[in-house]
Amino acid sequence: MKLQVAADWVEQPLKAFVDDARAEIAVLMHPSGQVLGQFGFARSVDVQTACALSAAIYASAGELGRQMQGKPFTVMHYAGKARQMFLAPVPIDGGTLLLLAVFGEESTLGLVQVYFQDFQRAAAQAAPHWTGAETALASDFEVELNRNLAAMFGRT
Amino acid sequence: MTSPYATILAGLIRHRGVKGCLVVGETDGLLVDSTLQFGVNGQIFAALTASLFRKARRASQAAGLGDAAFVQLEAENGRVCAVGRGELVLVVVAEPRVNLGLVRVDMLKAVEALA
Repeated sequence: MKLQVAADWVEQPLKAFVDDARAEIAVLMHPSGQVLGQFGFARSVDVQTACALSAAIYASAGELGRQMQGKPFTVMHYAGKARQMFLAPVPIDGGTLLLLAVFGEESTLGLVQVYFQDFQRAAAQAAPHWTGAETALASDFEVELNRNLAAMFGRT
Repeated sequence: MTSPYATILAGLIRHRGVKGCLVVGETDGLLVDSTLQFGVNGQIFAALTASLFRKARRASQAAGLGDAAFVQLEAENGRVCAVGRGELVLVVVAEPRVNLGLVRVDMLKAVEALA
């Protein structure tokens, strides 16, 4: 499976994370909907769905946390029977990105957490100052997402 | 709050040359309890040793040898030993001079009380 990136700086940290954490799927995105890199999906429509759902989950978890404890929940882990999902924020200069990772029996939550910390550090060093949108507007979400998907999957 | 594994860990850390012992979840690689007398990030170490134990166990099964009973890693400056029962792995980190036979016997006894 090929790693696809919409920004050059994403490639090295995301590849290291996928290799080390044995992730089956990894998607780096901005909560506004811009996808910056992905591994594991063969079709752009699947990345589109994953980004939309992850952004929604992150927003919902944040609001739920604010309601319950006065501050947002950030890291989310879901353990299924065969696969597990990990969704967590990646702070960078000028903003926050989201990393979605799906892993199976080749990895563990502990390993994913360990290599996610490495990824956070590497991304914070490599990422340029974020100049994109901070909040997701319904119209922008699709435009931003489609633009980067086209770049990653070679569509015009 | 004392965990149910504190007594087990206290018994193992008393051995001369043992620098740390941990109880780790085998399937999730998360640290359950530990006594560490050297500078190491327990959570990172727990995740990596659980992964090592899982892979050793799978290799043993793949070779038709059954479950791995005792896994030992010899490094330049020490040893890492692991035994598992159920969902948990008991890990000991020791210096090269440790009486490995004694530690092994105590680990095999202790692991019976884990599950």
